Amino acid sequence: MEDSIKRIPWASIFIWTALILVFVFTVMPLVFMFTSSFMTSRQIVRMPFSWIPETFHYDNYIKALQGNDGSWIFPRNVFNSLFVSITVAITTILIASITGYGIAKFNFRGRNLIFMMIMATMMIPFEAIMIPLYMVATGLRMQDTYAGLIVPFLVSAFGVFQMRQYLTTFPSEYLDASRVDGLGEFGIFWRIVFPNCAPVIATLGILSFRGQWDNLLWPLLVTQSEKMKTIPLYISKFAEEKLTDEGAMMAVAVIASLPMFIMFGALSKYFIGGSAVYESRKG
Amino acid sequence: MKRKYIGIERKEARWGFAFTVPAILFFSVFSFYPILNALYTSMFDKRVLSLLPPDFMGLGNYTYIFTSPDFWNSIRATFVFTLGTFIPIVIFSLMIATFMVNLKSKHARGFFQIAFYTPAVISSVVAAAIWLLIFDPRGLGNQWVNALLNTPGIDRKWLADRTMVQVSTIIVYFWKYIGYFVILFITGLSAIPPAIYEAATIDGSSKWQAFWRITLPLLKPTVVLVSIMAMLQCLKTFSTQYLFIQGGAPRAPINVITLNIYTTGIRNQRIGRASAMSIVLFLIMLIFTWLQFRFSKSEEVEY
Repeated sequence: MEDSIKRIPWASIFIWTALILVFVFTVMPLVFMFTSSFMTSRQIVRMPFSWIPETFHYDNYIKALQGNDGSWIFPRNVFNSLFVSITVAITTILIASITGYGIAKFNFRGRNLIFMMIMATMMIPFEAIMIPLYMVATGLRMQDTYAGLIVPFLVSAFGVFQMRQYLTTFPSEYLDASRVDGLGEFGIFWRIVFPNCAPVIATLGILSFRGQWDNLLWPLLVTQSEKMKTIPLYISKFAEEKLTDEGAMMAVAVIASLPMFIMFGALSKYFIGGSAVYESRKG
Repeated sequence: MKRKYIGIERKEARWGFAFTVPAILFFSVFSFYPILNALYTSMFDKRVLSLLPPDFMGLGNYTYIFTSPDFWNSIRATFVFTLGTFIPIVIFSLMIATFMVNLKSKHARGFFQIAFYTPAVISSVVAAAIWLLIFDPRGLGNQWVNALLNTPGIDRKWLADRTMVQVSTIIVYFWKYIGYFVILFITGLSAIPPAIYEAATIDGSSKWQAFWRITLPLLKPTVVLVSIMAMLQCLKTFSTQYLFIQGGAPRAPINVITLNIYTTGIRNQRIGRASAMSIVLFLIMLIFTWLQFRFSKSEEVEY
């Protein structure tokens, strides 16, 4: 070890250089999004690109909210995205935990069959069933409604699977003790089991929220009117007209990313922990 | 005594059903029924706008799509994207993860983890929108590449050239998911007990040897699983391609299967044909999922 101090640590220099290069590559586009959201369109495509806005051009944000047609529809779209994502996160957590609990802790005929069926749905990719799903939604008159945006994602097979795996190790003695104490089955679930699922709830909540926040394909099929559209659709409309206003498009991108950045800042360990498990079925 | 025992069992079964049946009903309507319906509809010449009952055509839709250059092009586009994305992503994320595990400072490692993962946090539509501007003829993409290669003023036609637009979609995906896969590999690497490396060092092996002789063989199951996961994700790609086409890129080179299903089924109202495409996509993904299950069962390593 003595002489390693004198020797030039090439390996270490190499590793740091490589990691810093990757860092530049991953972070630059995000910095670009932030700075260019405060630039005039002329400045964004200037060569060479200057990373600091010459004037603080917050007009972009007003234009982003107002829309190219001045209809102020974007705030409504943000609300739609928030409403759909939060609702889906809540229903997924509730239904997945109660189903996972039923499979993990109750003995009944057909239990394995039910579990296998739910596992099997993880193999059906959303992209392969979107057309018939669209017809189901039409049949149930859910086109262009919140129900249409939410109902197909009420619960995910992956969520049930996670909850079941987690609750299998939950000690049954607690449940029996609560039964002896006279707590009803729903009471046991709600007061004993559910509060103990916190880590899975956090991971699952984030995953489901993200799934809908990010969902472009389904809202593209099921919504028609501007007022029912979600943020991804608004962005894709902006992309179509991008030559008119790059700065405003980046302002929209920043607004669309803020909730995710806030969540990531507060709960990064659940994001990173949650990615270590399989994301088999995303919306 | 015996009767009471049966009573408890019945009660348990009843609650078990009560807790699980709602989810089963849900999955029946929103997963099983649609996939069976896709299979059924793929046998019919169903068009939404037509009021006539659809004609049965057996495997007609399948023969149609398998003789149509347009669908073969979609299969080509999907596989070019999948292979072009997952191979570099797996190689680079494994390299980066190995570097990060070798970092002495825990803080630096945590910092890089968060930084590399950040692009995965934003939505794929936002990612595509950012890169749409970077790939502008006067945008950062050209400026960076020209600065690196010292070739001022050359336009790489990121969004206009047939080959480049495929490379561009791959870059967006690579950028967005590299951190995600780095973390998967760090998890895999951390599971290898340090004692093995200590033993190797005592036996006189270098770090380089240790990587090829110890890390890689022990990590093989993780590599296989992560590769299949990456492929499954790439096969479903939609947003990046959709947004690039909206932004003016040519359709044909990046017309992946999902995009083709959407255009055929929703824009052109050819439901039967789109269903046949869906079933093909489903079968391709089923093969990969089956591989994933096989490997995850057979390749469990004990240290």
